[in-house]
Amino acid sequence: MKLRNLFIVLFFLGCEQEPIYEDSYFACISTIQDNNVNAPGSQSYESTLQNMINSGIPGAMLTVHNENGYSSYAKGYADLASKVALQPCHITRVGSTVKTFTSVSILLLQESGKLNIDDPISNYLSREQIKDIENASKVTIRQLLQHSSGIYNYIQNLQFQTASLNDLTKIWQPEELLDYARGKDAYFSPGTNVRYSNTNYILLGMIIDEVTQRPFYEFFEEQIFRPLGMEFTEFAAINHVPKGIIRGYIDLYSNLNLIDTTYYSGWDYFTADGGLISNTYDLNIFLTNLFHGKLLSESSMEEFTNWSSPNESDHDGFPTYYGLGIFKVDTDYGPAYLHSGDAIGYFASMVYFPKQDITISWAVNGNYGRLDKYSQSTEAMESIFKAILK
Amino acid sequence: MHKTRIFYFFLLLSVLLLQEIQAQQPVIISVFNESTTIPYTTSLNTPIHPGIQVGTEFAWKETKRIRLYPSVRIGYMFHKPLFQGIYVSVEMGFDLKTNFGLNLKSKLGVGYLHTFTTKQEFQFENGQYVSNSDKGNSRVMPSLSLGFGYRLKKNDFNSPEVFVLYESWIEYPYSPEFIPLMSHTNMHLGLKFFPFNYQKQD
Repeated sequence: MKLRNLFIVLFFLGCEQEPIYEDSYFACISTIQDNNVNAPGSQSYESTLQNMINSGIPGAMLTVHNENGYSSYAKGYADLASKVALQPCHITRVGSTVKTFTSVSILLLQESGKLNIDDPISNYLSREQIKDIENASKVTIRQLLQHSSGIYNYIQNLQFQTASLNDLTKIWQPEELLDYARGKDAYFSPGTNVRYSNTNYILLGMIIDEVTQRPFYEFFEEQIFRPLGMEFTEFAAINHVPKGIIRGYIDLYSNLNLIDTTYYSGWDYFTADGGLISNTYDLNIFLTNLFHGKLLSESSMEEFTNWSSPNESDHDGFPTYYGLGIFKVDTDYGPAYLHSGDAIGYFASMVYFPKQDITISWAVNGNYGRLDKYSQSTEAMESIFKAILK
Repeated sequence: MHKTRIFYFFLLLSVLLLQEIQAQQPVIISVFNESTTIPYTTSLNTPIHPGIQVGTEFAWKETKRIRLYPSVRIGYMFHKPLFQGIYVSVEMGFDLKTNFGLNLKSKLGVGYLHTFTTKQEFQFENGQYVSNSDKGNSRVMPSLSLGFGYRLKKNDFNSPEVFVLYESWIEYPYSPEFIPLMSHTNMHLGLKFFPFNYQKQD
């Protein structure tokens, strides 16, 4: 009986219930017009979000900027345990969309004469910082920005993937993450191809730190967030899990059985390859202003959108071209400039269509497994584009 | 309900195992630290994910220097905040014995693992998420263990033994079409002893 009792206790102690929050915990006040039913096309936008929710996405938000201005929408839940409805003013993790902010910051520093993107990164980073990272001693800042450095992507390292699963709440420092890129073969010689690598953007964040003599996210705050009035945007380094952030969920076993992962994104709290907390409204403000020429000079924008294509294209998705922290994809509606981002339990994407002068941003609080098909696959993106651009 | 059935299955196996042990086999008990990691790239991992295992082994082929033996085991592990699991496994062991009490040990095994989440789970049913009890996930668990043991009576090959085993094992399937399998290691510290009817067999 003692053995039986021991195991009963183990199983019941082993399962932890999520806390129940009052609605006030997630309260957000803003000038965003929630679910603006009067905006042209709003029914189609809401229907697109509802389709995601019906497929198993816990919560989804969307912002569109067109000739009528900004309109924002949300469906589903900010928190499944507390059954709190998602609102467009809620904040969420937007992962790698931060890379566009990192790139813009580097170009702003070039405009102010603090660096030149054709300088080797070894002019700014110490030998110790780039030790054993193949190609790092000879690549330029531009090659990091364009993913043409060939530098190994630490996230691809199986040792990193299993280590992060082993300690899901660990808060990683940039140097610890770079260690997973050290001693790994580069993908190609610098400048001969393009391949996405998060390591590039960790190094870029460290360059901003060195050049400005302060954390890169303070530069983001001063040069981008505040001037654009992005009131919902902050970097995770300052507050890892801010009050009111929506809960994130993953479908780890591909069976639409979700667990809360709000506290599991600790590997990008301090690096410029992820870690941004925002919402679709603020992302839309950022991308719209960027492509309306409000952030960068004309010459910087030319460099920013100087596209390079991979030697072998991915036949499964949109034809994709690499800019500096931005991608161009060919869609049925013409070219689109975009960046997307995952965190553990979260996904966001921001897209600008230059022909139509329309910006679309959407975010969901669930990813991995079967969920990705409904929010970030080529099929899902085509469905969103169709609803808005048809 | 399903979890209860798994528990009783586990209990039944324990009872059967204990009955068999009472005849003359040793009891092998170990505590271990489970990790998700690539085998042989790490050893002492943190945080500690504790586990406990009990089993026995059967005599099969033995010479002065080597011993080949089948074994069975059941165990429980708790990997907060990812999963907890119970398993039953059969292994074939191979020991290389030395005169000074050290046994070099290896075991090749396969088992059944049933995992449960350690967090509240939200299941998508009829177009919305509900939080019912977790039915768990069935897994195959192939394993390879390497290590060494020390016979407490070094001149007696059937002596009680303390041992350290580095077990690498695969959890399969893991997440279909996303992560096909997961690699784990368990670092065991254990004791083999004869609590019921110890008889010297040499």
